[in-house]
This record gives sequence, C-alpha cells and structure tokens, in this order.
Amino acid sequence: MQESKKIVILGHFGVGKTSLIRRFVENSFSDKYKVTIGVHISKKVVTIKANQTISLILWDIEGTDDINAIREGYLLGTHGVFFVFDVSRPSTFQNIAEDLDLTSKKTNKTPTLIIGNKMDLANKKDVEQLLAENKIPYDFLMSAKTGDNVDEAFLKIAELVNTNA
Amino acid sequence: MLKAYKKKHKAESSQFILLDNNGYVMESDDVLFAINTEIQIQQFHPFFSGFTAFVESKKDKLSLKCLHLDFSKKNGIVDVEFIKNKTHVLLILQDFTDHYNEYQLVAQARNESVIKSELIVLKNKELEAREAFKNEFIQNFSHELRNPLTNIISITNALGVTNLPEHQQKMVDYLKESNSNLKLMLEDILGISMIASGKMALKISSFNLRELAAMLAFTYKNKGKEKGLKFVLDYDEKLPEYVEGDKLRILQILTNLLENAIKYTLNGTVTLKIALNQKRANQASIRFAVTDTGIGIAEENKAIIFDSFYRLNRAHGDNGVGLGLSIVKSLLHLMKSEIKLDSKLNDYTTFYFDLSLKYQLFTLEKGYLEKKASQNKLSLEPTKKYKILIVEDDEMIQMALFQTLAKTGNFLLELISDGALVIQELIANTYDMVIIDVKLPNTTGDTITKMIRELPMPEIKKIPILGLTGNAYEDQLAAYKKAGMNAILTKPYEVEELLKVVFKLCKHVKK
Repeated sequence: MQESKKIVILGHFGVGKTSLIRRFVENSFSDKYKVTIGVHISKKVVTIKANQTISLILWDIEGTDDINAIREGYLLGTHGVFFVFDVSRPSTFQNIAEDLDLTSKKTNKTPTLIIGNKMDLANKKDVEQLLAENKIPYDFLMSAKTGDNVDEAFLKIAELVNTNA
Repeated sequence: MLKAYKKKHKAESSQFILLDNNGYVMESDDVLFAINTEIQIQQFHPFFSGFTAFVESKKDKLSLKCLHLDFSKKNGIVDVEFIKNKTHVLLILQDFTDHYNEYQLVAQARNESVIKSELIVLKNKELEAREAFKNEFIQNFSHELRNPLTNIISITNALGVTNLPEHQQKMVDYLKESNSNLKLMLEDILGISMIASGKMALKISSFNLRELAAMLAFTYKNKGKEKGLKFVLDYDEKLPEYVEGDKLRILQILTNLLENAIKYTLNGTVTLKIALNQKRANQASIRFAVTDTGIGIAEENKAIIFDSFYRLNRAHGDNGVGLGLSIVKSLLHLMKSEIKLDSKLNDYTTFYFDLSLKYQLFTLEKGYLEKKASQNKLSLEPTKKYKILIVEDDEMIQMALFQTLAKTGNFLLELISDGALVIQELIANTYDMVIIDVKLPNTTGDTITKMIRELPMPEIKKIPILGLTGNAYEDQLAAYKKAGMNAILTKPYEVEELLKVVFKLCKHVKK
C-alpha cells in the first residue's frame, strides 16, 4: 500500500488555505472567499523521485487566529504542517513566532513549512523587506491565484515528511 | 412514545458501521451513504487513511467534529466517533449538515467583516503614510530653499544700498519684490504642509487689535490706491483693545484675504470689517470680514476655491500658486474657526470668519504695552564695542552677516568655518557673543552649544549664543534652545530681525 502522510494546513482565516489546496489538487482557483468550517480532507499523490510516490492527505482546517482553539483531534497523527499567512494582511503574521511555537507543541515538532500566500497582491521586494524588518520567518512565498511556488512547496513538504518517516 | 420518536429521529441522521481491525466493513446501516463491503474503509475517503494508526494506538475512542464528507448524492458535514473493541471498531457518523451550514453563514459574515475592516485600516495607513511623505518632502524641500534664498535676499539688500544708477536701482527694487513674494510663497507652502502634519502650533500672546487693523489699513490703502481702489476700515469701537491670540497668523489670514480682494477687484472698494459679536466672561467673539466689489465667485466654484493650488482666474497676471485661501482655511481650522463665503458673480465677494479670543477684563494703563515694547527696542551705545565670534561655513552667509553687523559700528567680528575650533577659540580669546550655524560640516551648532555650556570657565560658559538654522520645525527649535542657545533665527531672516536679536543679546553683556 502506498505510504500516506497527513499534512495539516494551518493559519488565520482568509489567508487562502483552501485556495492553496485547490490549486495544488485540482489546479483551479476562485476569487470568491468561502469560509471553511471544521475540516476538509483531500488527497494528492506526489512523486518525490523516480519510482517513489507518496500520498499526501491534506487537512484543510478552518482558519483561526488562536492555535489553541483548533478542535481536539484535528492535529492527531500529523506528519507535516503548512503554516500559511497572507502577505497583504500583517495581522495574519505579526504573532507568527507565538503561533509556530504553539503549533510545534501541539504537533510534537513535526516538520513545518511557513508559507506567505497572495503574492499576486504585493510587490516581491516590498514583501521581502517587510518580512525581514519584522523578523518574520518563511520558507515559501507563493500565490494560489497564479500557482507560483505552490507545487514546489507541497513537493518540499512531501520530501520532508518522507525523510522524517 | 417519546423514546420511539427519539430513536427514529436519531436514526435518520446517524450511520453506524462495524469494521474489523483491518478496516473491512462488517456491517453498515447505510443511512447516510451506501458503503461497499468489498473495500477497506481507508479507500472510501482520504479521511479514513488514519484508521490503521488509530487501531494500532492505545486510544479506545476518538471523536472528530465538523468533518466534510462526500455522501452518495450530496456533501455532508458530520461528527465522527470511533469506538474500539477487541475484534472490531464501531464507527458512528452523525449528520449535522444543516446545523453546520447555518454556522458557516455566520462565520462567513463575521470573517468577511473582520477582513474588510482590516483592509480599510491598512488602506488608511497607506494614505496617511503617503500624505506624511508628501508633507515631509515639501518641508525638506522648502528648508533646502531657505539657504539660497537668504543669500539672494542678503545680497539684494546689500546691492540696494550701494550707489547704483537709477535704472539699476529699479531692477534691484523688482528683485526685492520678487524675493519677498518668493519668501511668502515658501512660507505658505511650508505652513500648509506643517499644519497638515500637525507640526504647527499657535503662539498665543496679548496684542493690540486696533494697531493690527491700523497697520493693515495703512498697507492696503496704499496698495488700493495704486490700482485706483478705495479701501475702507470698518472697526467696531466696542472691541477690546488687547486680545490674546496668534497675532502673526491672524495677520497672515487677513493679509491673504486682502491681497486676494485687491487682486480680483478692478474698480470699487475693498473693506476690512472687524466687529464684536459678543463678549462672554473674558472671551470676545470677533467677526473679521473682507469684502470687495470684484469679479465675484460663481456658485459652482464656491466649494473648490479653498483647495491647495487652485486658482479660479488666471487671467489677472497674478503671481502665487493659489495657496492663499488654502492656508487661510488651514490656519482657521487650527484656531477652531472656519472661513465662510458670501459672493455674487460680477458683484461682490465677502470672506468672513469668527474668532473667539481672550481679552483682559481689567484695562491696562494706556500705553503700557507700547512702553514695554520700547524697552525691548534695542540699539547699542555707539561707544561700546562687542566682540562676536561667527561660526558659519557658507561663504555667502558669512559675507551677509559681516556686512550687516559691521555697518552698525558696534561689533568686532571674527569668523571661523570649522566647528571643531570653536571651543579653543573661545578659550584663547575673549568674546561677548557667538553666532553659530546649526548645520556645520562634521558637527552641529547645538552640539557645540552644549559643549560650551558644560565648560568649567563661568565667563565662557554663559556667553550668549545665537543659532542660525534653515530648520523651522517647532520641536527642533525647542531642542536647540534646550541645548543652550539663547536665541535662534530661522533662515531666511530680515536684516532688522538679525540686528534686533543681536542687540538684545549684547545688551545683557556687562561692559
């Protein structure tokens, strides 16, 4: 049986978690914002290297500005975390250190990628400068709308959870 | 019966499934969706891919709420419960789709409104930052213009007192007038941007209102005469003699209104009316009105004439950048008042405003303030000589200072352009006063002032220091004073201003 890895997508509401998954899984995008409640689960098989695939089970968890408020049970058995923020809304990343710390505690330090989404709304240099000035860590800056860096980030998490396994 | 109802209703929204430890379906009531017993539950939906991990874990029970699953015909939102037994696992799915969908609508409205208000705040911040940048730019630019303008004014004045043939003297006069216009414009632009960025504060003091009116009447009677206009001052005798307010700013407002009135009136009369509305406690409400019989303002233009850089009629060969009414509006706003307008096209225009100014309830001895002012009016005894150290690196300003001060015959002047040499020069020679530019190469005048004030020699430590600066920010000026400067002149300054302050500082020097 193919190896499955559970990846949870976390972050404040409206940062585009559902859109990222939709872009990655279905290669589609909608500008209309629909609030996710609870959790949506989808799956995509990723080829890490020749002859090696991995099945990513993507848990699209409802957005919250309080990691503590995430429903009991959603994070159980997590192999990897995508922490997503919106580069155009500082409120979604200004407390990121605290959020990441809590996430790490709740997921037993599983590999985590920090994602800045909605790059289509901002200028890359401005964003990089803003994040550097505010000491905001990130692994990927991407856009679910244009698809920029989306596949790369999911491939990266697949590699991380695979080596971790 | 109730039990039966309860059982029926619960049964309609719950599905019970029995699974063996490998995930194969042993039994299912298929209430929510039909499940194929041939396959493992792990293949039914990605959610169940964690089933094996659960079976292998030490947990006996696991529940998850608000899970989106695809049912046979529609999407459903369920709460899920796994209960582990030795040989099998009971899976209970409870359909709460309607309940969660209602909750979704509430969450949608809430999140949208939070995001919207966040974006509005961000947008406002961006606009404020842009406005601040614009004001900062204008202020810096205006400050930069002050130095060269000071040079031009000084040199023009110096040129004006030399023996020039008449036609050249006339050219110098034109030059002077242009300089003065340029200086006013610079002050206006700076004023507007300083008000906009909250950097301008009113300087409230007691002043003679009647004198202010008389001075304006004198100026505009003459200006009016040049254009063949009549000027009338209508001054209410019931007004208190002395009021408290920012005299210079009130003068600036009235000057702007009167300049406009003269500019846009081809024949007829310009009237300045100052009248008492009422007195209450020690506050007087005073109406100021400037009326002309000029071209008037059309109804549709009444709202836009107070905007910066806007002029209605460019055909009058006027100079200026259309800032006059905008600064009037801004200054009055600062004084908690507003400019009002009454006008008829091709007939008349009246600009008016009310100011609530404090006044003294008791009457001052007649001429008291004048006497006090004359005590401050300074000139020095011709026999006394004062030694002044000038610290300035700009050659043009050095020359202008030299010419102005040397002409009085009261001063012996020494000049250095290097700030680092000031202290040793003051120790080596005796001086009565220091004039120092704030912006010097490698150091600043206020830093040097601070060092002087900390010297152990009392006669040097207390030397009067006059600072010269192109920086007119209130907070900066306050910082220079705090550093120990006795007085500060902002560039461009008039010759009289310089002499007045130098005389004043020297007067305290014992000779």
